[in-house]
Amino acid sequence: MNLTAFLFRRLWQMIPTLLGVVLLVFLLFNWVGGDPAYVLAGKMANPDDIANIRHQLGVDRPLWEQLLIFVSQIVTGDFGNSWATREPVSEIFRTRLGPSLVLLVPMLVLETLVAIVVALTVAALRGSVLDRTLMVTSTVMMSISLLVYIIVGQYVFASLLGWFPVKGWSDHLWRNLTTYAVLPILLGLMVSVAPSVRLYRTFILDEVGQDYVRTARAKGLSERRILLVHVLRNAAIPIVTNVLMGLPALLTGAFLLERFFAIPGIGREIIMAVERSDFPIIKAATVYVAMATLLANLLGDLLYRVLDPRVHFE
Amino acid sequence: MSARASETSPGLWTLAWRRLQQDRVGMTALIVVGCYLVVVLLALMGWVAPDWTREVGVNYAPPVFWADDQDETAQPSQAGQALSGPVPLYGLQDPLATELAAIRAQHPGAQEATEVPRRLSLPLGGDKWGHDVLTKVIKGSETSILVGLVAAILATLLGTVMGAVAGYFGRWVDDAFNWLYGVFTAIPYLLLVFAIAAVLQQKGVVTLVLILGLTGWTGVFRLVRAEYLKHKSREYVLAAGAMGASHMRRMFVHILPNTSHVILVQLSQNVVGFIKSEVILSFLGFGVPVDVVSWGSMLNEAQNELILGKWWQLAAAGVAMAILVTAFSMLTDALRDALDPKLKY
Amino acid sequence: MINHMGRFLLFLLGLWVMGAGAATPEKVLHLELSAAETGFDPVMTSDLNTASIEQQLFESLLTYDYLARPVKLIPRLAAAMPSVTDQGRTWVFTLKHGVYFSPDPIFKGQKREVTAQDVAYTLMRFMDPKNRSPYKFLVEGKIIGLDELGEAARSSGHFDYDARIPGLEVLDRYTLKIRLKTTDYNFAHAMAQPMYGIVAREVIEGYAGDTASHPVGTGPYYLARWTRSSLMVLARNPNFRHEVWNFDPGNDPDNQRIAAQMRGKLIPQIDRVEIQVIEESQSAWLSFGKGELDMIGLAGQFAPMALRGAHLKASLAQRGIRLDRISDPSIAYYFINQQDPVLGGMSKEKIALRRAIFMAQNDEEMIRVIHKGQAVRNAYPIPAGVAGADPSYRSLLDYNPGEANLLLDRMGYARAADGYRRQPDGSPLAVRYTSSLSSQDRELDEMMKKALDRLSIRFESEKLKFPEILKAERQCRVQIRLSAWIADYPDGDNFMQLWYGPHTHENNGSCYQDPVWDRLYEKTLTMPDSPERDAIYHQLARMLELNGVTKVSTTHIRNVLSHPWVIGFKAHPILPSVWSLLDIDVSRVPQP
Repeated sequence: MNLTAFLFRRLWQMIPTLLGVVLLVFLLFNWVGGDPAYVLAGKMANPDDIANIRHQLGVDRPLWEQLLIFVSQIVTGDFGNSWATREPVSEIFRTRLGPSLVLLVPMLVLETLVAIVVALTVAALRGSVLDRTLMVTSTVMMSISLLVYIIVGQYVFASLLGWFPVKGWSDHLWRNLTTYAVLPILLGLMVSVAPSVRLYRTFILDEVGQDYVRTARAKGLSERRILLVHVLRNAAIPIVTNVLMGLPALLTGAFLLERFFAIPGIGREIIMAVERSDFPIIKAATVYVAMATLLANLLGDLLYRVLDPRVHFE
Repeated sequence: MSARASETSPGLWTLAWRRLQQDRVGMTALIVVGCYLVVVLLALMGWVAPDWTREVGVNYAPPVFWADDQDETAQPSQAGQALSGPVPLYGLQDPLATELAAIRAQHPGAQEATEVPRRLSLPLGGDKWGHDVLTKVIKGSETSILVGLVAAILATLLGTVMGAVAGYFGRWVDDAFNWLYGVFTAIPYLLLVFAIAAVLQQKGVVTLVLILGLTGWTGVFRLVRAEYLKHKSREYVLAAGAMGASHMRRMFVHILPNTSHVILVQLSQNVVGFIKSEVILSFLGFGVPVDVVSWGSMLNEAQNELILGKWWQLAAAGVAMAILVTAFSMLTDALRDALDPKLKY
Repeated sequence: MINHMGRFLLFLLGLWVMGAGAATPEKVLHLELSAAETGFDPVMTSDLNTASIEQQLFESLLTYDYLARPVKLIPRLAAAMPSVTDQGRTWVFTLKHGVYFSPDPIFKGQKREVTAQDVAYTLMRFMDPKNRSPYKFLVEGKIIGLDELGEAARSSGHFDYDARIPGLEVLDRYTLKIRLKTTDYNFAHAMAQPMYGIVAREVIEGYAGDTASHPVGTGPYYLARWTRSSLMVLARNPNFRHEVWNFDPGNDPDNQRIAAQMRGKLIPQIDRVEIQVIEESQSAWLSFGKGELDMIGLAGQFAPMALRGAHLKASLAQRGIRLDRISDPSIAYYFINQQDPVLGGMSKEKIALRRAIFMAQNDEEMIRVIHKGQAVRNAYPIPAGVAGADPSYRSLLDYNPGEANLLLDRMGYARAADGYRRQPDGSPLAVRYTSSLSSQDRELDEMMKKALDRLSIRFESEKLKFPEILKAERQCRVQIRLSAWIADYPDGDNFMQLWYGPHTHENNGSCYQDPVWDRLYEKTLTMPDSPERDAIYHQLARMLELNGVTKVSTTHIRNVLSHPWVIGFKAHPILPSVWSLLDIDVSRVPQP
């Protein structure tokens, strides 16, 4: 089977999954997701006002009709306005995604780089004291809750030592990257690096055990060259796939970091939407993330098939 | 580890145990986890930390080794309670007038509960109510570990059964389960948690376990399904089929023991993951109810205490959790290494 | 390399800024909001955070004097206080001349003056069903002909803003006559709400559908930058009229100090106000400590850091930080649903059960442990600072678990083998307490659990998201809850209406429908603040206790901390913000 046919089939297969997501989210949130009308109506609303609001939001229509509207929203990509603030949902994603990415992209890049370097080091020195120490350290690091890192980190580094601002955000990418995002990124890395190190270490050790490494050694290639060129090239496939699978998560931001450091990101916005029962935002977030996840899966598969000659298209 | 499994394939488990014994880090981790489990058992039986809800110390009682810290919040408020005489009724009738008069005639004098003297410091300090943090941390360990364990067992059970069925039967059954897997993994984790929490309504430890279990089965499913795909056409399974073993028998008696090492590692990993998730769920308000204490509820409570200088609850819960999670993760690694002989290094 | 380049450029930029700034240092006030704003169309606003910003962008006809206590109404857009005739049914407002909206492209470069027609238009908007205004209750059922317009719009789908109604009569360019259906002495308070800030019709229609992001008002500031739910920057409105700070300090030494610093200065003195949304109180507090924020409302749980009793700690006082401390015009009150099958009803047993539950609530412990001393016991439904308050009111339901238990014993709520009480008929008894998912509410759960434990009554907890709590309450499905109410306007009626029978399904969460109580309450509606009204209010409050409907528990204390460079601040109980009345001493602002 060739690449186009494979792509076509996989894209086609996404539709039922997406439909499942749509149906599940729709049912769950319509059934129990809450009725925002009572909050929107204010302190003194009477049942007439509630009915008026429910009518304007369209939540008094039959379920199938609401589902149809939802589906048409997905097709057109227009999820309407937020119920709580009347801001267009597309606008919310357009403006809040940026800050989250400023936080998460450097985090992902640093995480990957650090993890690869550390994993290569410990793989080269496998079984040594350094290997053990690094593995124990990384396990301890990932065993502490992010909440604890944030509470203590903000208190110690931003307030007591004053190395970073306590909170804040600006319109300038460079300023955000060099001032405001530094501490949140570092705190986020504390928990996210260790799992990657451990995972990449197993990827690399998997490759080290392969025949081609023995062949290379027999040919007299230096250990460093074997590791950096041959092993890394092959271990790159699972590593890249792993990074790829992490991409959809960027869309949901990092709500703990965003809340504590007052960063106007999408994670905060989604949590706020759930608290306010702001269904349009919840629907949009779910659909976007679901699509991104499916696409990332597809890309991952493609990558495997393109990079790894042992896998064939079925 | 599991007696029944070792009967069917004694070689694997004995070998694994031997390998584990040689792994010093793994054995240390096992001992630490074992100690925690003993504490959990003792707490379950009520032999230690029987009642964490008792207010034994003053508010924010400091730890004994930090006892110079004085609490300034315990200021009596100057409410004008000293006024005496009957409360005016402004010409209204009290519907309970006769009853109250009778009570007051029988029991003259105010019925004030006698205050139990409270301790000024506690081994690991006290929280804002004066609960003993040491007792809380022990009771919290019990809750968190049990929640993690039970939820992990639930998730593993779900994942294993679904993975086995999907992998073994293949075709449309596989498609159906794969579809479910796709749907669950495509929905953002937090939104899934919110939705399931809202559906479950009833608040309590059971809800928490269900939330974690129902959202956490996907990893197990993927691996178990892959194993079953691999094993179902192996000779021993085909042979069992030829000898008249039913599908159920083939799936759960013949194949399952050969995938048990994968399942065990996943179970162990899930315990760690769920214990950490419980903290975040507590932060979002989906934690244990107020008459139960867990590491998550403690960390969440202690959130604002650090900058007040009352660091002991945060420290106690944070450290207790970090040690267990570290030990458990290392045990998981050791198990994986011991069970997977291919990974030699 | 890039890094060095960047630093060098920053250095140059710094030089330039310092050079430019040396001539006229800009005065910037940095503030925080604890929850995100919702958008700046006043008619659609329901929360205080948003209102605090609208107070600066828009102007209502009236406002409150900055320094006078008890609070006093004064004109804002009106040239003088309105003339009220016909027993409070006819109100004539005359506008100031030469008041202009802040510039906006809609005005095509022209200066746009505020007229009486704008006021009429603004009032009409509240009844337009399309706007679903949360604050329409302040005019609903009051202005002759306006409700009918709203009704017509509901059926036709189109609100007729060109209609002439007898209730809103534009006498000339600057004069508006408002006719009310009945006597209403509180109408002036409605006209002082920030939500009733005057807007221009062409702006609202020009930005139809997106009015929330185009606030164009006559206030001292305009919205210069807005990163939604994160940052709002207010800048001086270039069209703002010549207005001089001139409030009467009276004899209060604090007021006199403020007047000495501020009197004669033009409004506003501060060039920019930057407001950042910070949801986590730890972050806000640490920011204030570092000087990233100039002022902060001190969250109760941090009080022990800053205060010793009612005073600032020495470490903060040494830094010149000032504390403003007032009692909030708010109450926290327990209510029990009178229609609940287990707790409701007017039989003696039910009344006794409810009163016992109230008497088991230890308010002093709540003040000490949860509010860290930053609340006071207040048993009267009307808090201090609001017309009709009575600080010396004595409660029937003070903490008295001993008597509460005796009462339950006597009424037949016997303890069963498990130690918990049963209902008199032997059926099980449990009390379900409803609260939100927040961590503060978890502490309140603990309080309620302890209270019920004292009575040997089984505690159940219902945790809901806030919108769900409101819904359950409006549908009379809540059993017991601790609710709070903060004054919209400083009159006792704003509080007493919380138990009015016809307000069931609105904000009478106790679903208390008692004809005796209702008739008494209705009498007060047409009475001004007077000893006669107070006498009835006392009866109403006592009936709520006697019947076991509600227990008013506490009133919060508001602590505002400000850094020494903030000049002229005095906390106001009703005004949501006073930024345009402040100044900054630039010489004391620390240089980064």
